[in-house]
Amino acid sequence: MMQWLALYFPDLPLDVFWSGEESAPVAVIRRQKGWDIIDRCNASARQQGVRPGMALNAALALYPGLLLHERDDKRERQRLETIASWAWNYSSRISFDPLLLLLEVGGSAKLFGGIDVLLEKLRNDPRAPAAVEYHALAPSPGAAALLARLRPGTRVRRTENLQGVLRDISLAHLTRNRKLLTLMQGIGLSTIGEALELPRPELARRVGQEAVLLLDRLLGRMPDPRPLWQPPEHFQQSLLLLAEIDQAQVLQFPARRLLNSLSDFLHGRDAVTQQLHWRFLHREAPPSQLEQGMLRPDKRAEHFLELLRQHLERLQLPEAVVEMELRVDDWQAADKIHEDLFVPQQHEDQGFLERLRARLGEEAVHGLRSVSDHRPEKGWGFREALPASGDAAGPEEPLKGEGNDPLWLLPRPRRLPQRNGRPWHEGCLQLSAFSRRVETGWWDGEDVTRDYYRARNPAGQELWVYRDRRSGQWFLQGVFE
Amino acid sequence: MVRLVFSEMGAEVTKNLDELLQQGLLWRGRNGPLPTARAVLPSGFERLDESIGGGWPRGALVEILSQGPGLSLLLPVLAKLSRKSRWLAWVDAPWLPYVPALTARGLDVSRILLIRGRDANQGLWAAEQALRSGNCAAVMLWPRSVSNAQARRLQLAAEEGDCLGVLFRSRKALGQSSTAALRLEVQPSGGKLEVQVHKRPAGWGGRRLLL
Repeated sequence: MMQWLALYFPDLPLDVFWSGEESAPVAVIRRQKGWDIIDRCNASARQQGVRPGMALNAALALYPGLLLHERDDKRERQRLETIASWAWNYSSRISFDPLLLLLEVGGSAKLFGGIDVLLEKLRNDPRAPAAVEYHALAPSPGAAALLARLRPGTRVRRTENLQGVLRDISLAHLTRNRKLLTLMQGIGLSTIGEALELPRPELARRVGQEAVLLLDRLLGRMPDPRPLWQPPEHFQQSLLLLAEIDQAQVLQFPARRLLNSLSDFLHGRDAVTQQLHWRFLHREAPPSQLEQGMLRPDKRAEHFLELLRQHLERLQLPEAVVEMELRVDDWQAADKIHEDLFVPQQHEDQGFLERLRARLGEEAVHGLRSVSDHRPEKGWGFREALPASGDAAGPEEPLKGEGNDPLWLLPRPRRLPQRNGRPWHEGCLQLSAFSRRVETGWWDGEDVTRDYYRARNPAGQELWVYRDRRSGQWFLQGVFE
Repeated sequence: MVRLVFSEMGAEVTKNLDELLQQGLLWRGRNGPLPTARAVLPSGFERLDESIGGGWPRGALVEILSQGPGLSLLLPVLAKLSRKSRWLAWVDAPWLPYVPALTARGLDVSRILLIRGRDANQGLWAAEQALRSGNCAAVMLWPRSVSNAQARRLQLAAEEGDCLGVLFRSRKALGQSSTAALRLEVQPSGGKLEVQVHKRPAGWGGRRLLL
């Protein structure tokens, strides 16, 4: 039998905004008959005397610093989807109602060892993105939604018990159809129970077929098909900042919320990612972008956040940020075996290297490898400083240098000026010893023929220089100790 | 011995452990090696070892003051450390280490981590992270500038990460006091290196030797 669990989030219209401090009084407003009305407000606003239903002017008179925004359906829906991503762990049949999630748990209850166990687990889930305070269980989705809103905590298992539970609820909660409501009130009906006491043909004749259908669905006598939610392929979420942020470092606080959402998204799919795209929107300037790449895919919000902090240290903001957005296009299935067998030492490596890279930039941290090439500038290469990837490829047979090679190499040979036919580097160079002749590279078109010397400049620096035998030019390539 | 006592005390363990820690009677491993058993890494130069108390101090900061040379003093110990699993970090090195020359001296270059900061502070930050992380056997830093307070932080980080930290500084820094455990001045002298020990752990500095 179908069992619908409704989860109601009355504070969701407030939760979609980032207000800076917890203690800031915040309210969302809606327009009603040409007036701006306080729709919801947080506890701090309530302390100032602000109440839902109050006219905006009245609220502002009470507390002029009230942070305000109009209710934002799009963001509310987005937030519900985030919660749905998490709820996906408990049921794959999810549907939406305003500020409310409907989960069909009759089917998945077996996996958890019964509905009570499932509910217990869900309500105490530390990963829940929002507190699950208002919930109800019923055999029809309509009844579950109604009860979660009006009688949170109610659990009705059997269809025949629904009638008794719903009896006292006002018909105003059954429909928003004003005309229908007026009709029903006109014949003296005010509660669901009163409407159910009339014989069905009588009710249909007096107020129309629609009312009968609504009641039948509510009581589970007729199917109530709901569009089922499909989890999105990509993660994209934005957060509007009611308090603008002009210091990059401060962005980490609202970022935490987006990262928690992302983490839920990934957990729900048992997935991991290694590339986060951030966008920070300004009033005038074009959006600032931040690419957060990671060495290893992950799904932990804490881990993402720690690396983001390092990135933020380098971020230059042209203007204050008014909105931020997190997007993830690519994710992959988490490889469980890999995760469990991961050696702690290597795991440590990851964190350490990632911290360095995040703060200094990808280009600032490298490993080294040797390459079999007699041209010194090609006798080495950078490699990804990842132990796993480097070792898997197998190191190339190292070309051993000669004992009298220099310890230091210039990134690129530097051409030296000549004075009186002799190379010059911070003074005239004295060639002290012939090092070797290198003739190689014919196979890749960069063939060279060079004579290497050890040389000393007037400051006493020992240098490794060569003469290109074709052009006669001198180059500095290394430094001895 | 201490551990043995704990297992007998059973449930009392946590409380007593806290007490012992508060009274300073208990030494915790992560605070570094016991002062009596100072760990050293043989430098590969017998005469140098004699002059600096047995070898490079492990979990401490070494300062090498020179106008350029100095790395070659460290090659034997780096070669040995490169056989283990931890990194050898080179932070803000003046040039690229020449791979074939290092390989010829027995160093496994796959353990080398080259780190370059964009300014002096980034280099110092990276060196401190590397020292503290426990992922590096040795961290060498060629700082563009370093204050005494910063050097002190590096010394503490080296202790925490049980890492050999090496700070290459100009000989001009001789005038400044130093918190490093070991301080050497190095200069070329007729094809050899002249090493002057200015400060060493558990002993007097002042010795001069040619290597």
